[in-house]
Amino acid sequence: MTAYRPALRVLSALALGAVIGILIYGLLAAESEKAVGLVLLAVALTVAAGLRTGVLPRLARAAGSGPLLGSVALAGVVLIAVFHDDPFVLLLVARALLVLVACLGLHVQFADAGVPNFAGAAFFGVGGYTAAVLGAGEIPHLLVLLASGAMAAAVGSLLLLPLLRTRGHYAALITIAFGLLFRTFLEVNEGLGGPQGLKLPGLRILGFAFNDDRQLLGLEVSGFAFYCLAAGVLALGAVWLVRRVERSWLGVSLDAVRLDETAAACFGISLGRWKIAALTLGNAIVGVAGGLSAMMVGFIAPNNFTFQESLVLVSILLLGGLGNLAGLAAAALIVVWVPEKLQPIQEFRYLLFSVLVVLVLVLRPGGLVRRRARQAFGSAAA
Amino acid sequence: MTGTAPLLSTRELTRHFGGVVALAGLDLEVRRGELLGLIGPNGSGKTTFFNVLTGIFPPTEGDILFAGASIARSTPQAVYRAGITRTFQRSRLCLELSIFDNLAIGAHGRLEHGFVFNVFRRKALGRQADEIAAAGADLLEVFDPPLARRLHEPMAGVAMIDRRRVEICRALMSRPRLLLLDEPSAGMTADETTRLMDDLLEVRRRFGELTIVLIEHAMSVIQRVTDRCVVLNYGRKLCEGTFAEVSSDPEVRRAYLGLR
Amino acid sequence: MDLLAQYVMNGVMLGLMYALVALGFTLFFGVLDVVQFAHGDVLTAGAFAGLAAYAVAFHAGVHSAVPQLLAVVLAATLSMAVLGAVLGRTLVLPLKSAPPLNVLLATLMGGTVLRECIRLFYPGGSQPQRFPALLPSASWSLGRFTLRLDNVLMILAGVALVAGLSLLLRRTRLGLQIRAVAQDEETARSMGIDFRLVVLVTFAIGSGLAAFAGVMHGLYYNEVNFSSGLLLGVIGFSAAVLGGLGSLGGAVLGGFLFAGLQTLGAVALPFASAYKDVFAFAVVILLMTWRPTGLIGEQLGERV
Repeated sequence: MTAYRPALRVLSALALGAVIGILIYGLLAAESEKAVGLVLLAVALTVAAGLRTGVLPRLARAAGSGPLLGSVALAGVVLIAVFHDDPFVLLLVARALLVLVACLGLHVQFADAGVPNFAGAAFFGVGGYTAAVLGAGEIPHLLVLLASGAMAAAVGSLLLLPLLRTRGHYAALITIAFGLLFRTFLEVNEGLGGPQGLKLPGLRILGFAFNDDRQLLGLEVSGFAFYCLAAGVLALGAVWLVRRVERSWLGVSLDAVRLDETAAACFGISLGRWKIAALTLGNAIVGVAGGLSAMMVGFIAPNNFTFQESLVLVSILLLGGLGNLAGLAAAALIVVWVPEKLQPIQEFRYLLFSVLVVLVLVLRPGGLVRRRARQAFGSAAA
Repeated sequence: MTGTAPLLSTRELTRHFGGVVALAGLDLEVRRGELLGLIGPNGSGKTTFFNVLTGIFPPTEGDILFAGASIARSTPQAVYRAGITRTFQRSRLCLELSIFDNLAIGAHGRLEHGFVFNVFRRKALGRQADEIAAAGADLLEVFDPPLARRLHEPMAGVAMIDRRRVEICRALMSRPRLLLLDEPSAGMTADETTRLMDDLLEVRRRFGELTIVLIEHAMSVIQRVTDRCVVLNYGRKLCEGTFAEVSSDPEVRRAYLGLR
Repeated sequence: MDLLAQYVMNGVMLGLMYALVALGFTLFFGVLDVVQFAHGDVLTAGAFAGLAAYAVAFHAGVHSAVPQLLAVVLAATLSMAVLGAVLGRTLVLPLKSAPPLNVLLATLMGGTVLRECIRLFYPGGSQPQRFPALLPSASWSLGRFTLRLDNVLMILAGVALVAGLSLLLRRTRLGLQIRAVAQDEETARSMGIDFRLVVLVTFAIGSGLAAFAGVMHGLYYNEVNFSSGLLLGVIGFSAAVLGGLGSLGGAVLGGFLFAGLQTLGAVALPFASAYKDVFAFAVVILLMTWRPTGLIGEQLGERV
């Protein structure tokens, strides 16, 4: 594998970041439905052309994951600055980022360890409700966010034993039942606000209130811009963590468990230990995202965490191509933004996504983009 | 060879699957350092023996002693830790992963699996990865030098005969004490088989105390490479000895050829 | 005592409904080793098809209950039989050689498509719809417990269906073919059985049963809701799992067992009837932890 000169890496990363930034800007700035439609077309064409000709993958490889993440982060900051006083767009960006983080948690469970989780929205809700209960008091909000993750992992641990003992559709039944009943459980529980839900204070770190609109460098900056930054940091952190896990012995062991349990066992891999690790880590990631999301919205109610919402998260994983992080990010953005931008399809979004997933499963089981092989992590790495 | 306890011994090993008796009171011994051939007609219990031995199925009755300790009801993970590895009759490699990944799975016991090590101590992780890559390449070199240079290629693009080689190397990565090979030369031509067996003997030379149990159907292979054979029939030992002794045994001939 | 009788009646009704759904799941698993997760939504679609048939019949001037009921039941079961076969043909058979998880996902999403189509395209579909009371409203008083004729009729009909299915499978040629395919696809094919046809017919039968359960549900509760199929489907699947996937007797047993658990939950936790579902599923999950493939399921072969 050729070693790329640093200048080339930076340039490739910046180029790719610029392309991504421009496409996203177009999607967010478009107002009329026609404009949105045109931008979507442009995105589809660019991505398709880039993949077909191999330009996009080659640029990505040349950049390397570190510079690429940095470049995307830079593009993100620029975008946030561009939309500094548009709370609607900023809220969309933050929501998409938090959905991405939640999907990253599910990704570890499903794409890496092979355990599908049909209760993703429920764990997102556990994180949110934890933030609601703890955030009202004196506990520093960073700890509250950590607690959101920990609580989601703890609740998830209730399902660990059944999930370890069962396989395939039996295991699926367990998370489906949990996802279905979570909302019912919340609605009946007056202690957690019942069907009306709970209010949450805004995020406050070291005295800095995220909710407040501010004046920066003469510009009006909406409070949501700071939430975007927070969500962005969380997303970057989650991507970094998941990639590190995948590109290590942890990833190899998870793959072995997913691909062939018998062979894995015969080479000393403890199926239980690895599934527990993946499930716990995944749920914790989902929970943290849920906590931040609840604090951003300022309000939490049971009917946000339905089974249908869990299916949307799974749909994102499948549409992006199971195992493909870039695809996952793209799918998360599309799924969160397009129904908001194209108001007529808002009502139809569940229908639309389900149809798309069915089409993908029947026609292109590998997802819209193929899963990438693991990059070596010894000195053979680029 | 006399006076030293056998490395592996089974006593009355029995395994039922519903109404089917796959193993019916099997008593056999594997001596340290030997290459033992395990032969018998189809359905005589050879693969089932491997499956019970490696903990995939518990025995219905009987015991298995490995280096003095009973492993009859051990999990597959415990059997691996005790130093027994295997290949499978139908090749079980992870085709989605690279050759390196598959070999690393074989070396699972040698790897550092802590969260902190893998996520934060990347330099040390890289060094360990290089170590495993070197060990893997060394093994592959014995079987096919070009294969050793394709370490990071996906398994799916590798030819069947090379996949079998990788599978054997995967089983060797943990430096096992006992290696179980289940029809490694199935589907190969005579030349390919000869070469595989030569390479296997070479590995045995390099690895010193490596005991091998080999399930094979090609009698020429058994004759050439094994020190001793055990013949199974209907889940129990029919006969044992050198190939010459076993192949001239009237009971064996009856079982295989149906002669009266 | 009367309360007990009420609970028992309720439990029997629910148990029968669940059994009808579970039978579908177990049939599909028997012939194809797949779980068709849209099955619950097929139930709902059947109920709505019946409702639509009622509306059409009513407007066409049919005002007496018997032909209305006939129209409803026929419309529901026949349309769902067709839909079931279509689902089998488009979602399940094409994914036969894909990893089993893909069928699960595809049918889960397919169920969502069905559910959303009802919600979006049936007039007023997003609100619960009144289901007409088409059965005679006579009842007998036994002490303080009221035995309703419509319940009795539904129970009899349900039992007749289950018995009919059993007869079909054990006494007819089609039933023999279905059982052959369930036993061993290869052998069945080599015996000249048209595998795909048998699979599609099985899907049709199972879906028809679900549609009947949907009509029962509508008649019993006097309403239908686009989302009721989701829970009913998961309950039906749990029931089939409890009894062992592939076992017809097990499916019926599982259906009644789940209804029994719900009743137990309702009795034990009277302050929140919604908790009865949580209770029932919690028990199911516990049972599955103890016996991963059901109470009468096959033992998992590999212990790894």
